[in-house]
Amino acid sequence: MSEVSDLDTGSGTEPAPHARAVLEYLVRSIVEAPDAVEVEVDDNGRRPSLNVHVGDGDMGRVIGKRGRVAQAIRTVVRAAAVRDDVDVDIEFLD
Amino acid sequence: MEWVETTGRTIDEAKDAALDQLGVDEQEAEFEILEEPKAGLFGLVRREARVRARVRPTRPRPKVDRRDRKRKGPERRPGSERRGGGSRSGRGGDAEPTDGGAPVSAPEESTKDAVPDGGAPPVQRKQEPARRKVSAQREGEPMTDDVVDVATQADLTVEFLEGLLAAFGLEADIQRNQVEEDVVEIDVAGNDLGLLIGPKGNTYTAVQELARTYVQRKATGRHHGKVRLDIGGYRQRRREALARFAHQVADDVLSSGVQKALEPMSPADRKVVHDTINEIDGVSTLSEGQEPNRRVVIVPSA
Repeated sequence: MSEVSDLDTGSGTEPAPHARAVLEYLVRSIVEAPDAVEVEVDDNGRRPSLNVHVGDGDMGRVIGKRGRVAQAIRTVVRAAAVRDDVDVDIEFLD
Repeated sequence: MEWVETTGRTIDEAKDAALDQLGVDEQEAEFEILEEPKAGLFGLVRREARVRARVRPTRPRPKVDRRDRKRKGPERRPGSERRGGGSRSGRGGDAEPTDGGAPVSAPEESTKDAVPDGGAPPVQRKQEPARRKVSAQREGEPMTDDVVDVATQADLTVEFLEGLLAAFGLEADIQRNQVEEDVVEIDVAGNDLGLLIGPKGNTYTAVQELARTYVQRKATGRHHGKVRLDIGGYRQRRREALARFAHQVADDVLSSGVQKALEPMSPADRKVVHDTINEIDGVSTLSEGQEPNRRVVIVPSA
């Protein structure tokens, strides 16, 4: 994990800064424990995946009933990713 | 008390409305059904389902959150201070591991609470949730029983939008207009807002939904009045287009004398249609179907 791969651009730039910022903002806005929210960027797949971890008991708030909140978050984050010129996946992980 | 009361065409719809207000998932709420819905002939005469709901009071909130909320949450309004919350000032709530610990224990506790097994001493079972409830409110949001007025909701909405725009790296002008006594419209204007509207207004709808979620979570209670959101004039344009369309259909109905059902629309869009049609002599509206397929029917008046 800590190894720098050959494919790394080396510039240290992350693939989707706006998408990530928006995702962090949105999730932190609606959970009970904003400090426990972490977003990691997995850049190994076909396109960057933004993986969201939240504190105990907050997953339900992020998903919302019938996944509505999660879906809204995805929609807005994908819009933000347009500014980064990439497509992103957003995963909510326990 | 933090019960909210809602109605709907079905128990499920009423429950959904309550969950919307509480801003929690179904598992975290408890419900009481006050009235079963009663369907009438052709769905015209009916009594709505009525339910009462609240967040299960058993789960202590994580400490981190309390601190954070105070720091960067919406400032507490003096009016939302808990009545008789004398114990509040006395305790260094943030620093203390109050209320019996971590949220990890939650499932176990709620089970215990839900199952009247008679094993535990009844006194304790009764008191614990009550104590927690007080502490949650003390540390968290304004009381559920409080009316959250439209100005507060507007403040929170603006706060949410400012944060969102900053995260997007967009600059925009946020204005609020009091359009009616209990209706505030918030207009976001600026360049490059197309991103926040999206194809068919999808992003706009999502932003609106998240703004509402934010407001509901920051201020539980009976939300009085309504905050509307417009981004880059999208809502205005959409309303105008809908109104024009409704006028056309009304003309058809007037000349043919035959009612016409429109395609399913969101509640907000339906309201535009209702409002438009009800200003036209000779036609009126009704709604039929279940969300999300609920639609307006334009009928010739008798």
